[in-house]
Amino acid sequence: MNGLRRAFNSDTFLGLVRYRVLVILVLAVVISAIVAPSILEFRSISLSLDRIATTGLVAVGLTPVLIAGQLDLSGGAILALSGITAIGFQEQFGQLPAAALGIVVGILCGIVNAFLVVILRINSLVATLASMLFFRALSHTITDSRPISGIDPLFGLAVSRPIEGTFTLRTIIFVLIIVLLHVWLTRTVAGRNLFAVGSNPASAEASGIRSRVFVFGTFVFSGTMAGIAGVIQSLSVNTGSPVFGESTALLAIAAVVIGGTRLEGGRGSAIGTLGGLLVMATLTTVMEFKNVPAFIQDIVTGVILLLLILLDRFVSSKKGRDVSWTALLRSLHRRRQTPEIERTHAP
Amino acid sequence: MSDSSTKTHTVSVRLVKESPLKRYASAFAVPIGIVLLLIVGSILSDRFLTVGNLTNVIINMSIVGIIVVGMTFVFITRGMADLSVPATVAVGGILVLSLDQAIGTIPAAIVGVLVAGLAGVVNGLLIGYAKLNPVITTLATGIIVLGIAQAFVGGVIVYGDDTAAKEFINGRLFGVVPVIVLIFLVVVIAGHLVLSRTVYGRWTYAVGSNPDATEASAVPVRRVKAGAFVLTAALAGFSGVLLGISLQAARPAIGAGYEFDAITAVVVGGVSLLGGSGSIPRAIGGLLFVQLLTNIMVLQGVPSEPQGMVKGALIAGAIALDVWLRRKGGRE
Repeated sequence: MNGLRRAFNSDTFLGLVRYRVLVILVLAVVISAIVAPSILEFRSISLSLDRIATTGLVAVGLTPVLIAGQLDLSGGAILALSGITAIGFQEQFGQLPAAALGIVVGILCGIVNAFLVVILRINSLVATLASMLFFRALSHTITDSRPISGIDPLFGLAVSRPIEGTFTLRTIIFVLIIVLLHVWLTRTVAGRNLFAVGSNPASAEASGIRSRVFVFGTFVFSGTMAGIAGVIQSLSVNTGSPVFGESTALLAIAAVVIGGTRLEGGRGSAIGTLGGLLVMATLTTVMEFKNVPAFIQDIVTGVILLLLILLDRFVSSKKGRDVSWTALLRSLHRRRQTPEIERTHAP
Repeated sequence: MSDSSTKTHTVSVRLVKESPLKRYASAFAVPIGIVLLLIVGSILSDRFLTVGNLTNVIINMSIVGIIVVGMTFVFITRGMADLSVPATVAVGGILVLSLDQAIGTIPAAIVGVLVAGLAGVVNGLLIGYAKLNPVITTLATGIIVLGIAQAFVGGVIVYGDDTAAKEFINGRLFGVVPVIVLIFLVVVIAGHLVLSRTVYGRWTYAVGSNPDATEASAVPVRRVKAGAFVLTAALAGFSGVLLGISLQAARPAIGAGYEFDAITAVVVGGVSLLGGSGSIPRAIGGLLFVQLLTNIMVLQGVPSEPQGMVKGALIAGAIALDVWLRRKGGRE
């Protein structure tokens, strides 16, 4: 029992938990490769990346929201609404302006969420639950609950066709945004401040960080990403539908949490989210390859999500341990106890 | 630290002077709203203020009303909300219809409620004992339970053929009182008595208003919080059972939307999301308000889609008002 506790408290174990996304990803890929060897071909990798691109954009938007200690459940509904906008206004404004308008709708939805959370001070879960209901009902109202089609099915192919036989445009957009977000989170003062806001808004405020501005910004960013995701999704299938993205919120949250971002805020990384998305993509692809029904896939997603938030609850709550990768390397070289400080920034 | 506490103190002194007005305002807001809706509805439509229409309103609110009772407990213990309700409703409905030929309708109904309650036990363990975030946890357990329910029936609709039970549930006692309304009233009164007259009810309020102090007073905080989720799941399962019997058909999506309807009713009734206050009559008042509003919209020919927008706006508005009132009361 004592040995078990020591094992749970060891730097190695904490490090594994911290970088679990790598562990899980390697496990997922190895299992998938055994079950379906063709998954390692370049074509299926490119396809897997392509299919997570839209959920991925929502997850990228969600990452700073979670780091700031908030949550946004409305991503799926915003995705549907902005997709409908991008398709529905094609006849009046032309295709590109309509797509831009779709993104603007996403930004506006994000501002609504931010207003509810920051100005009206509603708990973000309930606020975005209410706005999710509202945006979804709005999508149903303006389309009469029927999917709508765009004017030119060939226009949207640009986003979903592999460029020069490599990756699709939406994959590239999505990976690019992840890299930009990662740089912003780890290499800029504003990005680092976001972690402070998530760990302790009051003391961040006391240190001169305007917490509420940061929280406001994360919701607008999340709405924008969901808007971009919706426009891309709708263009690629030339359809806007009020039922698009119904399971997106949970999948995106699962990906972000697998990626090591804590629900309680103050910890997380954009690259981790990419890893979480890759895990989901691998699992989905291999389960579909094996003809596993959709509801079993749902069960798997739900169980993984639950297990990881349980793990976070019991392991990451230990304070005063530095398990960033530099510290882990150091402890591997010199096995001696050094005074450790609590760090809240990204690895 | 001392600065902020002095501030709170002065605010609360000011509050004492204002409090009668504010207390009456919050206690009478929903009843006044209901009366206003009754007036507006009867002006807009001749059919609104008829016995037939109002009976329909009450029949319609019975199924979701049973869930509202459980959700009120969750809100009062500061458990935020139970989003696994659609899944537990589906479990109740699917189980009662798929087992009724094998073991009879009443045992099947009991099994349905128990299995739904089991899902609630999982929720309760994760939220009350492991202290996970309630919304994410119930979102995940909801997906898992619904997946299991779908796997159980193979993702299709289950049909029953117990017409006697169907006629009993949809019928009226002595030709006057609808049976389903009677069941709903029994649940509401039982829930209200538990919350207002028993030790468990006192504990429920204590856990929601100050968990640390309650823990220090040797109240089983974790068990009480878990209990609220078990109760909600069992009641949602019971709703599913009633729904399944009255329709004699259940598909996995049968409970979709019930969680939002229940949450809307509870917050419109003025039960605080921050825990520690509220009551079942208030939540049912909120439910009646929303149902009357929906009924007026239906009679005016408003399609069902914009009604969702009204619900979303009602949730946000009611909670914003609650947060604002609490901040004015110096309690955040």
